[in-house]
Amino acid sequence: MRLFGLETEYGITREDLPEVDPVVESMELVRAHLTASFERRWDYAGEDPHEDARGFRVSGLAQDKEEDEFATRDTHRPFSFHDMKSDLVLPNGARFYNDHTHPEYSTPECRTLKDLVAQDRAGERIVQRAADRRNTSLGGKHVQLYKNNTDFHGHSYGCHDNYLVSRAIPFPRLIAGLLPFLVSRQVLAGSGKVGIEAQESGFVPGRFQLSQRADFMETELSVDTMHNRPILNTRDEPHADPKKFRRLHLIIGDANMCEYATALKIGTTRVVLELIERRAAPSLELEQPVAAVKQLSRDIDLKAVVRQKNGSSLSGLEIQEQYYRAAELTLAGLDEETDWVLREWGETLTLLAQDRRRLIGRLDWVTKLWLLETFMQEERIGWNDPWLASLDLEYHNVHPERGLYLGLEAEGKAWRMTAEADIQRALASGPADTRGGVRGLCVRRFPDQVKSVQWERIQFGGGLLPRTLHMDDLFEPSEVKRCLAAFEAAADPMDALNTWNGREDSQS
Amino acid sequence: MKYSTMPERREGPGDPMPKPGPTEEGGGPRRPETGSPEKDNLLKRMKKVDPKQAERYRQRTGE
Repeated sequence: MRLFGLETEYGITREDLPEVDPVVESMELVRAHLTASFERRWDYAGEDPHEDARGFRVSGLAQDKEEDEFATRDTHRPFSFHDMKSDLVLPNGARFYNDHTHPEYSTPECRTLKDLVAQDRAGERIVQRAADRRNTSLGGKHVQLYKNNTDFHGHSYGCHDNYLVSRAIPFPRLIAGLLPFLVSRQVLAGSGKVGIEAQESGFVPGRFQLSQRADFMETELSVDTMHNRPILNTRDEPHADPKKFRRLHLIIGDANMCEYATALKIGTTRVVLELIERRAAPSLELEQPVAAVKQLSRDIDLKAVVRQKNGSSLSGLEIQEQYYRAAELTLAGLDEETDWVLREWGETLTLLAQDRRRLIGRLDWVTKLWLLETFMQEERIGWNDPWLASLDLEYHNVHPERGLYLGLEAEGKAWRMTAEADIQRALASGPADTRGGVRGLCVRRFPDQVKSVQWERIQFGGGLLPRTLHMDDLFEPSEVKRCLAAFEAAADPMDALNTWNGREDSQS
Repeated sequence: MKYSTMPERREGPGDPMPKPGPTEEGGGPRRPETGSPEKDNLLKRMKKVDPKQAERYRQRTGE
């Protein structure tokens, strides 16, 4: 089953204040999206980040000492948890909310890379539109948003990629197949960063590295996401029928500005999952995966090698090439999108080895490095100059008049996977072949009757008893289309549910 | 700044992620117009960035 989505936590600041309260600012930003008062609709009942896919449950999630202190203060704030979250479900099926200290946009579920990239770009527009409204009320362009993963002071925030996978694949097989791939995926999908950080340990300027998140990877496997961050997150929160599916929740990835990098990151990961399912992934076993993530990130020449348990050594490119060759051998001709991924993956690996300047505008770390090196020559400054970290930050600003990447894109120098019309469609509605499309349709058509929403269900009020559309196994595109048709044709959601459930009854 | 080494873009028939033509509103891939006045715009944008911006930028740990 092919289904994926992206969650992006945005960095937020106020340039008119000496100190910013990110909880309040994130809450105000999300609420600026609304034209009416906030009504709680998100249903938290299905969210439980304590279940571990390795077969146990943890009593609590770890966070660092500084965040412990912040959390204690947060309990005394003059608003409720739900007010703080300000969870919104959007007409495109996306979720937009305050993930405690960061505005977060979660795309609706997508089946195609083109839809995913368009929905991700729609997210940039939605958060920036909210910032524009907030700035109007503040009377100046004070709020700025960054689609990045670090504050250059040892604080990281995430861009998580999610994939629906069959529960029939044993979790240890997923781990073994994915770890070397994820360690090396940054050569394609890293967003690039000036300097080196560590959790709570500040920032050392200088040295450009491939990834924003590599410095924050501390273990191979963990259910935690804010501390002791893992290469492979073991949270077992499927948001689907738990007997059939699991949701692979990857927190190692950088937020990408380049559309091509987003497509390649998700496309290659989806292909590797397909390889694992077919037992065709290469047999690689790294000696020290966590150290390898950092080692590979800090070598922009891509020459560093990491040891395998069998004593041999491989570079990040060589690891990627092994996965690429296995995928080419096993999956070529599977379908049009898989062939696109294989072609672009192979070409990108070749260009990274031979002529990476041709990847400017396609891969973020290559693009950012080129911008910074050009600027350094122009200004005659070195890697230790603090200006470079500021330029790195500004590369990710989603304000069209300020962001460096968006400036590059506006000049036609970035590889686009979407047209403006695709983004406008993604702003208006979710994919027509996933339950995200159904969610968006219900929000648009029946805004007053939607009582609560979760990824896998929608509850409607307005009748004698609330009724629920269950979507925990609604993944076949033909079924999604039938469900959409029922909700498009019906006068109210109860009629739609009768039609939809009647169809199920007639099939049984 | 030198933009003379910008990447070429390819158009492929049957591509599942077709790239729009240069006249489509709002973007799509356009060949870089190296040497155009636009190149100075990005440099100006970079020079406007406050060198101390990253030093002031503070976030709380996220996920």
